[in-house]
Amino acid sequence: MEKDTIMIDYKHRQAGHCESGATSNLFNFYGIEMSEPMAFGIGNGLYFSYLPFLKLQYAPMLSFRNLPNTVFHRSMKYLGVDATVIKKFSDQKSSMDALDRNLEKGIPTGMQVGVFNLTFFPPEYRMHYNMHNIVAYGKEGNHYWVSDTVMEFPQKISYEDLQRVRWAKGAFAPKGKMYWINTVKQDLDIRSAVEKGIKKTVYEMIKIPFPLIGVKGIHWLAKDLKKWPKKHGNETTSFYLGQIIRMSEDFGTGGAGFRYIYGAFLKEAGEKFNHPELLAASSMMGNAANHWREFTYIGARNCKNRSKPEEDYGKLGDMLHKIADLEKEVYVKLGKIKI
Amino acid sequence: MEEQSNPVYKDQAYGQYRELFYTYGPDGKFEKNVGFHDESDRVTLQQAWDLFNDRIEEARQKVKAGKASPILYYMEKTLVTPMDLSMHSGIMVWRVKRHLKPKVFSRLSEKTLNKYAVAFNITVDQLKNVE
Repeated sequence: MEKDTIMIDYKHRQAGHCESGATSNLFNFYGIEMSEPMAFGIGNGLYFSYLPFLKLQYAPMLSFRNLPNTVFHRSMKYLGVDATVIKKFSDQKSSMDALDRNLEKGIPTGMQVGVFNLTFFPPEYRMHYNMHNIVAYGKEGNHYWVSDTVMEFPQKISYEDLQRVRWAKGAFAPKGKMYWINTVKQDLDIRSAVEKGIKKTVYEMIKIPFPLIGVKGIHWLAKDLKKWPKKHGNETTSFYLGQIIRMSEDFGTGGAGFRYIYGAFLKEAGEKFNHPELLAASSMMGNAANHWREFTYIGARNCKNRSKPEEDYGKLGDMLHKIADLEKEVYVKLGKIKI
Repeated sequence: MEEQSNPVYKDQAYGQYRELFYTYGPDGKFEKNVGFHDESDRVTLQQAWDLFNDRIEEARQKVKAGKASPILYYMEKTLVTPMDLSMHSGIMVWRVKRHLKPKVFSRLSEKTLNKYAVAFNITVDQLKNVE
């Protein structure tokens, strides 16, 4: 006989990025004080990819975040924590049964979900975006209590709805993916984890030999942005630009494509290890993030047709080039730092 | 307090939820603030949804005029392309495109209609009758 009500004492804290927020909340549940930026930095949340051959809601796809589950998986790997990730289930019923079993054992469980049918999510963001993460921590009759770090408060979702979002179809389909922590040692080696995390991020942002990922991808996007008005006309260009801004500000709720969170991570690490070089890198990152935000402000003005003539797409393209150069300086600096 | 600093918020259709934002100040401090999206974010959301709503309305008119099948309307309403719909429903792309013609749609079997209905998360009756 199943118990009707299960409630795990899990603390919901709002965060800027869904997965790093879930990861840091899970760590806190097991008694390790870990802030969101720390989880984000160790787990390589920072990323940039521009994929013009794929379309997301009629505009070219770009992403400021890494592939789903990277943050959780890598932060567990680098910190040496015993965690389980089930990549996919063969059928829908068994995925929900596995979740129920976990909740009965008192394990808060993270899941990858699609946002289109997520009932409590703000309607304006419900697009076919399958890389969202929520943590289930309670069950009450036919309803589950979930912690979605984008929302201010914990939310309730019915069994059928949860099953539907866990089995959302399309690109990056979650297929019922779920993850949880088994046991945590209390003395984690954060220093080496930070080092590994930074090294990997530097690799992903400047060393991948493919032109659409990392800093090279930002340059490519800037070049394309300058070409769009001639190629597609002003209206479409304005919509495509809107997509860039939406991806960096609205979908990445931390703002400026998560660059602020990464800067906060560098700062926290620098203060923790008393490392002046990291602190310098953090202020450079903050500066780059402020440039992103300036870009989105001016871009949004452009979308509203209120821009001045000198703020046209050529100017915006130049701004992106400048941002790419600023970011590259940070990564080159980080690549040389020994922690 | 946040409501006062965002006076335009109440009139807007979007941005009813408070989210967490990070900022970097001139004093070199990263700060977390909970608040509403500011105007520049809402502009782009509004722009996107204006476009989507236009497309939905256009599709509705087409279906009413008998120039397209209800699948087009529901496709626009759920913001998918034929390619996505093919992945959601398990029907091949060229068949999905063919089913956009009203004549072909009227001959579809219950089984295929049901597949579409499940993909759109509606009933078969709703699928046949666009309101």
